Amino acid sequence: MSTRRQRSAGGVAYPDIKGTLHERTVQALGDQTLRTNLETAASSWAAGQEVMRRDHGMDEMRARAREIRRRNIRDLPALLGEMQANVRKAGGQVVRAADGAEACRYITGLAQARGVTVVAKSKSMATEEIRLNEALEASGIEVVETDLGEWILQLAHQRPSHIIAPAVHLNRGQVAEIFRREAGTDDVPDDREGLVAHARVRLRETFAQAGMGISGVNIGVASTGTVCIVENEGNARLVTSQPRIHVAVMGMERVVADWDDAAHILQILPMAAISQDAANYVNLITGPRREGESDGPEEFHLVIVDGGRGALRGTEFEEVLSCIRCGACLYSCPMWRSVGGQAYGSPYSGPIGAIITPLLEGPSSPASRDLPFMSSLCGACGDACPVGIPLPDLLVRARARASSPATRKSAVAFRAWSLLLRRGLTYRVGVVGWRLFVRVRGTDGWVTRLPGGGAGWTRVRDMPARWPPRR
Amino acid sequence: MAATPVSDHLLDALVASLTRRTATSQVVDDADAGRATARWMADAGVARAVLPRDPVIARIDLGAALRREGIEVIDWPTSLGRREVLGLEGPEAVCGVTVPALAVAERGTLVLEASPGHGRGLDVTSRHHVAILPAERIVETLAEALARTFATGGPVPSAVSLVSGPSRSSDIEKISTLGAHGAVSEHVVIVR
Ligand code: SF4
Repeated sequence: MSTRRQRSAGGVAYPDIKGTLHERTVQALGDQTLRTNLETAASSWAAGQEVMRRDHGMDEMRARAREIRRRNIRDLPALLGEMQANVRKAGGQVVRAADGAEACRYITGLAQARGVTVVAKSKSMATEEIRLNEALEASGIEVVETDLGEWILQLAHQRPSHIIAPAVHLNRGQVAEIFRREAGTDDVPDDREGLVAHARVRLRETFAQAGMGISGVNIGVASTGTVCIVENEGNARLVTSQPRIHVAVMGMERVVADWDDAAHILQILPMAAISQDAANYVNLITGPRREGESDGPEEFHLVIVDGGRGALRGTEFEEVLSCIRCGACLYSCPMWRSVGGQAYGSPYSGPIGAIITPLLEGPSSPASRDLPFMSSLCGACGDACPVGIPLPDLLVRARARASSPATRKSAVAFRAWSLLLRRGLTYRVGVVGWRLFVRVRGTDGWVTRLPGGGAGWTRVRDMPARWPPRR
Repeated sequence: MAATPVSDHLLDALVASLTRRTATSQVVDDADAGRATARWMADAGVARAVLPRDPVIARIDLGAALRREGIEVIDWPTSLGRREVLGLEGPEAVCGVTVPALAVAERGTLVLEASPGHGRGLDVTSRHHVAILPAERIVETLAEALARTFATGGPVPSAVSLVSGPSRSSDIEKISTLGAHGAVSEHVVIVR
């Protein structure tokens, strides 16, 4: 059932998100608990990165990871064909979906045809992107997220704030509150161990009932038709071994050629994602259970989603397809660290989200047009990326792509600016003039409001009226 | 699988990596393996053990050793229902036993292959996970282990699990907490 590429109509950004990007950002900046939680998470990740660099040679591994992924994307059509053939050879079924709607239709139809009432899911950004839960629920099927972080968010009716650590914006007390509400009792412990144990027991009931397990795919290995699912908790293994049917949803760019490629990517992924040299569990699945085996699903379906990805090949944005969704660029980004992923209004946040959300949405989408501006272009994301995607360059290009005639004014302003700076005399006059201006304008050493085009700048920050600033 | 001579270097490296992954391990002789494993389980308070159908388990006669310690033995594949396999019914202190096809010294990773005698989920459905590892199955790197498992030209196993320590979650406050969905403890008995 392969279909020709069409422009995705569904879109990636959440349709029901409230407020503008600017409003959400300002609101997030005012949430002190959120900022503390994000900062805690990002600094523990950053400390771990130092260890990965020092003790595990992570920096030396990047160049090869980049080479592998660029080659994979170049060979993508052939690799997908090989993957598809090998999954079928192993007794699995493969579906190519042009967009999210098509993928959702297939999976929902399958669940209905097999009489599935409960679905157990493990963490998957692709299913979040295509909004599969909503589609299944609309057909009366109960969907339970079994990754601890995703389950917390599902109970709290929240969106993920990080692609690897979705509930990273919540602290232990907030989680306990959410669990108490769900269980309808105060009898839920406050400590981390107790909370994890509580979730374990509740979710085992789901595994006992589920007729279908749905997982994502970190990478697909074309040479054997194997899907690799990386996790720490063990829930993905339960999802892929307990229910009678396993559906794996994979973004079309996630395929590598062979086990040489896979070994390298499987090593660098946990390093970048969680600052560990191995994830606890890596599940390598090739088709359904075989003759004579007494557990594992009887049916295996691989759903490969295009969703606007194929159209990026051969464009100046092709390299975003190398992404292995490790989340490192998020943690490294001062912008993400200040506001968290929810403000972005897309399942993909941080630098990579700011680039790919508008690309997958199409250029005219008002929901995501401003996202490429969620960056100070400090360059940290480019250094963090394990597959060497030039994220800062792509952010600049994404800005250019988003700029419409509305931003002509800024083009004129920048032209004037450059004329001013290029000549020594005008530069010096400008500097002296500016110093005078801010000194007159400032109170207590700080300028809190600039007129005209500068107003946007001072809305969320102050400017020192003299240098060095006085605190 | 080509037998590699047991090298002290690989053995020491594996033990160190397992410790780093908060798994425990012991190195025993073939003759002592059954008894030592049963003793470890008894000390851990295990009430029931689920054993794969595997020549290594038969060779060390693990079933008999466990029964002597008063531990109930269930042979895989089992007639237990799904709820009982998941620990929702029956004793809570269940130990899933596995026999890894390979182990990766530099990362403390066990390679578990599904087959008629080995379940896909014994190490995650159970409270405890004990792996019985013949020492000659230790290799240095993950790349080597994957090449041996998959680059054979023949049919590959339906499911291979790379297991690197007990289950954990860092979803609450980024602090690692053990026993999220899978086993709370992992113990590797290295048999030489
Ligand atoms: S762009 Fe790079 S750093 Fe960001 S999620 Fe993708 S692979 Fe990781």
